[in-house]
Amino acid sequence: MKLYCLSGHPTLPCNVLKFKSTTIMLDCGLDTTAALSFLPLPLVHSPRLSKLPGWVSKDGAINLEKELKECSGRVFVDSQPEFCLPEKELLDLSTIDVILISNYHCMMALPYITEHTGFTGTVYATEPTLQIGRLLMEELVTFMERVPKAHAASCWKNKDIQRLLPSPLKDAADVWSWRTCYSMSEVNSALSKVQLVGYSQKVELFGAVLVTPLSSGYSLGSSNWIIQSHYEKVSYVSGSSLLTTHPQPMEQGSLKNSDVLILTGLTQIPTANPDGMLGEFCSNLSMTIRGGGNVLVPCYSSGVIYDLLECLYQFMDSANLGSTPFYFISPVANSSLEFSQIFAEWLCQNKQSKVYLPEPPFPHAELIQTNKLKHYPSIHGDFSSEFRQPCVVFTGHPSLRFGDVVHFMELWGKSGLNTIIFTEPDFSYLDALAPYQPLAMKCVYCPIDTRLNFHQVSKLLKDIQPLHVVCPEPYTQPPPAQAHRSDLMLELQPPPMAYRRCSVLGLPFRRRYERIQLLPELAKSLVPSEIKPGVSVATVSAVLQSKDNKHVLQPVPKPAPVPPSKKRKRVMEEPPEVLNPKPLLSGAVPLEPFLATLHKNGIMEVKVEETADGHILHLQAEDVLIQLEEDGTHIICDNNEPLRTALRDLVLRFLQKL
Amino acid sequence: MDSDCLSLLPAVCLVLADPKQSPPDDTSLEKLLDWFKEMHSQSNEQVLLQHQPCFKEFISSVCTSKTTDPAILSFTLKLTGLLACTKQGFHLLEVGGLLVCVFEREAWFVCDLWEDASVRSGWLQGLLNMLKHRQALDFICGNGLLKVILQLQNDGSLFVACLANQLLVHILNFLTSSNMTNGSDAVESRESSLSPDWVSVSSEIMNGVVEALSSDDHPRVLQGLRLLSSVPSQCGEPIRSTLWKDVLVPLEVLINRGSESLTQPLMTVLQAAVRTPLLGQSEYKVEELLEAMLGSGNKNESFQCAALTIKLEKCPEGLKRKAIDIVLLPLQCVSAQSQDTEKMNLALKEQLSQKASCISHLMQSLSSLEELAYTKYQFEGISIHSVTSSVVLLLRICSGHYPSSLIQNNASTHLIGCCKVQRCGLDTLGALSVYEENMNIRKDIFGVLLDYLKSPDSHATVLKKTYQATVSWIAVCSPFPDLLQFISHDLFPVLKKRMCDLRWEVRDSTLEFITQLTVALNGNSGFIEALHTSGMVSILLSSLADSEGYVRASAVAVVGEAVDSFLHHTVLVSKSNLLEEALKQMMTILSQDTEGFPRRAVVKAFTSWLKGSHLVTAVHPFLSSVLSLGCNDFDWEVKMHTLELAEVLMEKTLTCCPYAVQNFGSSEKELMQALSKLKEFGLFDLLFNSLFDCDRPVCAKGRWEF
Repeated sequence: MKLYCLSGHPTLPCNVLKFKSTTIMLDCGLDTTAALSFLPLPLVHSPRLSKLPGWVSKDGAINLEKELKECSGRVFVDSQPEFCLPEKELLDLSTIDVILISNYHCMMALPYITEHTGFTGTVYATEPTLQIGRLLMEELVTFMERVPKAHAASCWKNKDIQRLLPSPLKDAADVWSWRTCYSMSEVNSALSKVQLVGYSQKVELFGAVLVTPLSSGYSLGSSNWIIQSHYEKVSYVSGSSLLTTHPQPMEQGSLKNSDVLILTGLTQIPTANPDGMLGEFCSNLSMTIRGGGNVLVPCYSSGVIYDLLECLYQFMDSANLGSTPFYFISPVANSSLEFSQIFAEWLCQNKQSKVYLPEPPFPHAELIQTNKLKHYPSIHGDFSSEFRQPCVVFTGHPSLRFGDVVHFMELWGKSGLNTIIFTEPDFSYLDALAPYQPLAMKCVYCPIDTRLNFHQVSKLLKDIQPLHVVCPEPYTQPPPAQAHRSDLMLELQPPPMAYRRCSVLGLPFRRRYERIQLLPELAKSLVPSEIKPGVSVATVSAVLQSKDNKHVLQPVPKPAPVPPSKKRKRVMEEPPEVLNPKPLLSGAVPLEPFLATLHKNGIMEVKVEETADGHILHLQAEDVLIQLEEDGTHIICDNNEPLRTALRDLVLRFLQKL
Repeated sequence: MDSDCLSLLPAVCLVLADPKQSPPDDTSLEKLLDWFKEMHSQSNEQVLLQHQPCFKEFISSVCTSKTTDPAILSFTLKLTGLLACTKQGFHLLEVGGLLVCVFEREAWFVCDLWEDASVRSGWLQGLLNMLKHRQALDFICGNGLLKVILQLQNDGSLFVACLANQLLVHILNFLTSSNMTNGSDAVESRESSLSPDWVSVSSEIMNGVVEALSSDDHPRVLQGLRLLSSVPSQCGEPIRSTLWKDVLVPLEVLINRGSESLTQPLMTVLQAAVRTPLLGQSEYKVEELLEAMLGSGNKNESFQCAALTIKLEKCPEGLKRKAIDIVLLPLQCVSAQSQDTEKMNLALKEQLSQKASCISHLMQSLSSLEELAYTKYQFEGISIHSVTSSVVLLLRICSGHYPSSLIQNNASTHLIGCCKVQRCGLDTLGALSVYEENMNIRKDIFGVLLDYLKSPDSHATVLKKTYQATVSWIAVCSPFPDLLQFISHDLFPVLKKRMCDLRWEVRDSTLEFITQLTVALNGNSGFIEALHTSGMVSILLSSLADSEGYVRASAVAVVGEAVDSFLHHTVLVSKSNLLEEALKQMMTILSQDTEGFPRRAVVKAFTSWLKGSHLVTAVHPFLSSVLSLGCNDFDWEVKMHTLELAEVLMEKTLTCCPYAVQNFGSSEKELMQALSKLKEFGLFDLLFNSLFDCDRPVCAKGRWEF
């Protein structure tokens, strides 16, 4: 059993598990942090961005004025943003049988894997994962296609040039594997390969393994996966949460007794408590509004935004925010808000029960009804005429490189009254803000990551007790910025197996058993004999049939009576000849009674020698040696077949026959 | 009323004596006993017993009945004791042999009743009630009841055992009391010796204590210690010193054995001894025993002992110093830098690696330190500077921010986010502000306090404690010029955010803190200027519309203070419309707010403004509205505050006419003017209305003001 690690990112995993002749890809997360090296894509012409000076090396030897622009001491690529894909060279992607998706954030690289690689397998995901994943992909494609770039920059990737560039471009790894965004047709084609599954539904893969999604409590439809055969169990835990937010709570019981647990997707900000951050978010928001400023929240169009809106719904009256408009701007804003309301069965109990009242499970429905929350596909159109300040705007993309957020950064960045509040933990907020410097607006970093923290995960592992844990390398040491916080790492016995990008791990357990089915008629024919209390054995003569990784023992077909025909039959049609098997012997030959028997049969002169394994009997007159050992008896008797047979029969008297 | 009740007494006694009519519970019996006690204390007891023969009949019938209810018997025992607590009563009961019949359990018709704990407790309570005169003690000793009492000290029922203990202490106390010296066989000097008649009684009890202390039976030892802890404070000489001498050996054995479960009772005994002259006399070894209890500071109980020793009122200085050294060990150990590792003892390190003991030891360290700081204790050999730094470091550890040079121990993992230690540490840090030596590390201290105020993970109660500590430090640091910089640059931005916190408790304590800050720095013009120019005021005003009543009330208080401080600062007055805005919103609250707290706060703010000299004219146009709204409020406390406002208004208005008191006649005109002014305010309507108010305190206050 092997694990191929195509991504080293702890929360955007992409691993391939080879288990019992199946090749299973676990998630395919897309690392979008590479986009931070690119200039933002403004929706409206930005004089500031267009006037940025091009980059020329100090000695003037390299001139990349058209590809690279300088802004506040940093260099950015002026091209369509690109993303870092999972590793494609480690494994032939066409051999992948299935892809299991754990949540909608971990499927964003799907079109890169399923399209143009020869992939012919199936993708398994829950319905909310598919639908919201589709929205996020659609949004990404729209963001990119809305602002097309005339030319693509690639000269800077040249190794000889790249090493001369200023940081962080100089240090970017695998830049040649970076790719621009996929197209909508690729998205559609990739998603057409998805087969929907429900929690606890058992899906059989080629008869060899069963895969089962379990609720992971992180987002709508998010799942952990159990991959098991009859005798082995691998659990895949990715992006799980034990907090009480909107999704169904995490199912932990089924993860018990795993041979291997692959653990990914822990919180990216282990020192930030989500409740505290939510409080921080609300108080900063309220403070800015009270001060007459606007609040910009760069966020994904699904996920934490539902919780943020719910929290604000409760908080806005007490904070006198009743009259402040909230805007949600995204090409998929409407669908996202509506989808959240229809997936009732995937929600926590509290929200599920609301549906029976009937009431919408999320209170943002009421915010929309009362006009407190308005959503628009883009800043163009209705929004521009209805826009009122001070206000709160939720919009993407959190990297601040594309999407409507770029416009708001240009619009509000110059005033100290406004605040940008980062809630998504995926990007460094300082890097995200770099191309907007100098910036007057206030910046607040309140990353809300509800995924398991180290304290919760060690409790969970104590409870479910897997034999081996496999995890990304960063989890095995404290965060670099807090090297003394030994509580922010996994400390397990045995120590977890760590992986990084391009690792290939041999998982530390051997498969020792295979289940074989015995057909009833064959079972009926068995004659078990008890060899010791509680243990009976029987010999089986049967034909083993293996099909679709299932093994069945069938009775041996009886030879058809040969018809009295003189026609010659084809040899192929003849059933195999069945020989009566020799009986199996068991038991031990006791020395003293055996000597007595020999004596009785006229063999008098026996010299007994004790050896490490038993005894050697030397029948001196006959010049025969009998070796009596624990697991075998040998009669060494040259050229005297009758004597050997006679001695053999004497030995057999002491043994049981099956 | 009492006479009416007394006439019913025979019938009540009959009902009580009737086994078929047992009372539903003993509450009514207890109430009856209370009434008897009251009667007894008010009148001559002879009247009760002589004029109520039903008592004797009742007692006799209960004792001779074969079907007595345990509750009734218990009641009877207590009642008999009560009736026999005077010599006359005792005599009347003893004459017919009734007393013996009651307290000699062999005389009871139903012997099994003794098994009932309530009966045993009643028996002891009866004796305790009775033991007010010498005859009673004679009766107890003469009938061999002392042995029974000693046995009951180890009774399975905790109440019975406690009562037995109490009775034994009472007997010992009684032996040295004045009651015993009035008789013919009074001893010459009760201070020095006991009458030989009583020596045997005291020695029987003392032997019992010594035996209990030497016993292997844990509950028995505990009872012995409990009795012993009551003796020093309740009994006089020579009992106190004799008993102490007797128990010294077993006490030493117990202390040296070092059982953790006995730490607290042993300390109680020693604590009791410390308060008596026993402490000063070396033969009684009180100090030595305390020192033995402290040990060398490596046992779990040493820290508890040290913490208790520090709390002793008359603790010898040397001992106190040793206790301080011990109690501070956990704090120093947790905050020790890696170079100090060798100095730490292993046992302590081990204890600190376990969460529960780590937290408890640190709490003891911190609370002891806080206690010492309250008395401004002058540490010797320990720098207060380093102790304060340790507290600061501990608080940093608790918030997860600490230098990596700290020793890697498990303690830090237990402490991150531990609210208990955080709260305790902040209290201690606040208390440490009394030491001037700490002024040069104020930057560190304000730094850690600011971190706590900023931290999104700070619990509401932790924030409250942080505010309290910050106020203490700001109050002592007010002379330093860098304080204003800290307040306006660091503190105000955090406070602005906290005033918008999700949790109303935090918003409330933030507003309270700003009020305290404004009061503490009232004369500081720099602070007032910073408060009014930093944009704080607009957030304070918007807090007046908070959704939570308590927060609105606190906002009213802080706006009241801010307005007051603001008017001291004439430069600012012209630039702002704070007063108008505040008055407008406060009047809205008083007339429309659905909760009482904010309305009360508004009236209080007006009262406080009126008491000051600056605002009198500015608030005048609003006073009649405030008085009339306050007078008609549903909340009686609002009315009370309105009456207080009226009182201040009267004082202010009437003292405006200089002859109001001294020369009434000549200033009649001014007085009339003042009164008509008060009438304009509607003050008389308020007072008249309050006279007929349905709430008694309002009526009383109104009457008083008239």
